[in-house]
Amino acid sequence: MSKMLMIYPNKCTGCRNCELACSFEHGGTFRPGATRVHTFTWEREGFAVPLMCQQCDDAACVNVCPTGAMHHGPAGSNLVELNPDLCIGCKLCVIACPFGSARYDSVTKSIAKCDTCAGAPQCVAMCPNAALEFVEDAEQTRSRKQVVADKFKTIFEEVN
Amino acid sequence: MLIKYFATFRELTKENSLVLNAEPANIAELLELLSDRYGTPFRKAVFEDGELSSLMILLVNGRNVRITGGLATPVNPTDEVSVFPMVAGG
Amino acid sequence: MNGWIGTTLRVDLSRGTIKRERTNKLVARDYIGARGMGVKIISDEVDPSADALGPDNKLVFAPGPFTGTFAPSAGRYNVITKSPLNGTIAGSNSGGVFGPELKFAGYDAVIIEGQAKKPVYLWIKNDLVEIRDASAMWGMTVADTTDALREQTDPDAKVACIGPAGENLSLIASIMNEMHRAAGRTGVGAVMGSKKLKAIAVIGTGEITVADPVAFKAAVMDARGKIQANPVGGVGLKAYGTDVLVNILNQSGALPVNNWQDAYSPVADKIGGESLAANQLVRPKGCFACIISCGRATKVTNPAYAGVGEGPEYESAWAFGVDSGIDNLDAIIKANYLCNEYGLDTISMGSTIACAMELYELGLLTKKDTDGLDLSFGNAEVMVELVRKTGVGEGFGKRLQEGSYRLADSVGRPDLSMTVKKQEMPAYDPRGVQGIGLNYATNNRGGCHVRGYTIAVEVLGQGAPTDPHATEGKAALDIVFQDLTSALDSSGSCLFATFGIGGAELAGMLSALTGVDYSLEEFMKAGARIWNLERLWNLKVGYTAADDTLPVRLLTEPIKTGPSKGRVNHLDQMLPEYYALRGWDAAGVPTPEKLAELAL
Repeated sequence: MSKMLMIYPNKCTGCRNCELACSFEHGGTFRPGATRVHTFTWEREGFAVPLMCQQCDDAACVNVCPTGAMHHGPAGSNLVELNPDLCIGCKLCVIACPFGSARYDSVTKSIAKCDTCAGAPQCVAMCPNAALEFVEDAEQTRSRKQVVADKFKTIFEEVN
Repeated sequence: MLIKYFATFRELTKENSLVLNAEPANIAELLELLSDRYGTPFRKAVFEDGELSSLMILLVNGRNVRITGGLATPVNPTDEVSVFPMVAGG
Repeated sequence: MNGWIGTTLRVDLSRGTIKRERTNKLVARDYIGARGMGVKIISDEVDPSADALGPDNKLVFAPGPFTGTFAPSAGRYNVITKSPLNGTIAGSNSGGVFGPELKFAGYDAVIIEGQAKKPVYLWIKNDLVEIRDASAMWGMTVADTTDALREQTDPDAKVACIGPAGENLSLIASIMNEMHRAAGRTGVGAVMGSKKLKAIAVIGTGEITVADPVAFKAAVMDARGKIQANPVGGVGLKAYGTDVLVNILNQSGALPVNNWQDAYSPVADKIGGESLAANQLVRPKGCFACIISCGRATKVTNPAYAGVGEGPEYESAWAFGVDSGIDNLDAIIKANYLCNEYGLDTISMGSTIACAMELYELGLLTKKDTDGLDLSFGNAEVMVELVRKTGVGEGFGKRLQEGSYRLADSVGRPDLSMTVKKQEMPAYDPRGVQGIGLNYATNNRGGCHVRGYTIAVEVLGQGAPTDPHATEGKAALDIVFQDLTSALDSSGSCLFATFGIGGAELAGMLSALTGVDYSLEEFMKAGARIWNLERLWNLKVGYTAADDTLPVRLLTEPIKTGPSKGRVNHLDQMLPEYYALRGWDAAGVPTPEKLAELAL
């Protein structure tokens, strides 16, 4: 069974621990250009949301890649993977991704895209607010449904 | 005796304060009485292995019971008792 | 260098020059960064007799070595300068994301010198540094300035700026970053205003390297675990914010009321964190790398005070609240929003209003002075209007913008200004909590609670139980807290990390990050070094042991009601021991032996 990254903007405080964890995991340093996850913050409204690769099934980055470097994972995986050995740095994936989640890192001269840290995403591990979860696809909406279910329970308890 | 609840203790007890019409002799007896009233979650929040929970601040007339004798601190019907979880700020 | 970048930026606004310098490695090691490094720079380069609002004063913006890393809740920067409020070597500490961005742009510190002839802002994009015209922004509020700068520079730019209060040289003006985070205390905003520097906008893409990545991550995970396991750091602050303190200080008999005429309020609950969480809280907010999230994104729907923003903290809720006789949380939040917009320190603003209210009730100020406003305690509408007047420097606001000491002194009652060294004290009454009184009296920047937060032990039950009414042992307690905080501020960490970790964890993370071997002892010694260097500055400015005191009200006028009824502060029982334990003589001057020990 494959997993997916779920984002809960209502829990995000805008602390950017996810970005730091990502940069550190992929290079051992703290560098904004190295991170694959980005948090957007609206200061006036006090709102923030982290964004990263959505691992699309019909992935624009895969479709445009001329060398096959950007490819779908093996059967059973729902990940989009990058083989750096095949990457020629043409940046077509960067241009094609509608989410802006494939980036060219000019320091390492490579494409920076979420690789879920080989199945143990550090952004999730380091998020102090559970605003990011890495969950089985069958369970992806369980916690959201749980919130609704809890409300129903409360209402029915009050009615009875 | 007036018992005042704050922060998470308001969620636990579903009330902000309570006028207690009993006469416990000390904090231990008081917390037993209150635990019977509010149930297990409350008991777990105030006792830790039979001792005063380290995650709670309990004031009798503004004095922290931790410096006035802990569970043995005597209480009187005219006392005001304040129950807080461990809180902080700056 | 690891942890540190190795580069310091020097900007002379008089000459319009920009220089890059190497960060001194030995200074970095001995003073850590942020506050410590800033204190060392100001101490070395500024004449203590310089006019704080003249071209010879300097203004240092400095993140610490942790800033920009994932050391938990350690994304802060400090502003260090000679205070225009009281002449001390002052500093103020702020979170948000501005500090980390300075690091990513490649700087351990930015030193601002001289004075521009017309309004300017500093634009920093990595190596590109420009002094740009800010005439169009002069007069703008903080949020509007931030938006305007992002239009002119980069949509992602991080902005630290002053509002109209700093431009007007208000002695209680703050420097704001990310609209809501404040380097609030000691009037640092006025120094920025005097230099005609409206803002610094920065964006950075550089790197912070780590000496031992494996050890650093392990130390960080250990510290995170301890903070998250602590009921305060892990749950309490996120759920209720710092405003949760209102009730516990009130129930302990140490919540100052009506300009410190009393220390207990029967209506305090209406302005506490519980009420805030139930009514105005939208969601918790976190600064960069924060795992605690004490920040409050709030919304007020009451049409009289409607708005959206951040706050209040405990101090702000108190100052605009019960200290001014007010129990209307909507009005308090509105006052907080206005302070963020105009760039004002909420503690000093609220406390100055409280002082004005007492002077008004005594007939020492009349409606002739106050533009016709009724300054009776409890008048929430007038309180909010006074903040606005101060923010824009209008009418009676011109007197309030100087702080409570100058206001009270102008009518012959400086004793009614609740200040130490002219800076307003925060919301813990030393008559009910003895040790915090000693901390206020000896604090190097005047009335201040964060640099020596003995409340954690005396009231909040962290560590070994201590009687808040006792004076024994408080000198030693104060010194540990003061030195620890000096080192912690200098590292870039937030004080709230200490609800879970202590000097040992901080020193461990710092060693792994920088490769400099800090033992706990050396870390604390760096703190003592910084504290003593600040003290030496203050002595040069002309402060003496006579200034290490509290408002006479706290020493002679007993609390009237509540749990601490009848009590006063016994500073005289603690101060001599404090000097002795500090290694200072009876006049409060560090002995040559102490200075040698600290390599000063």
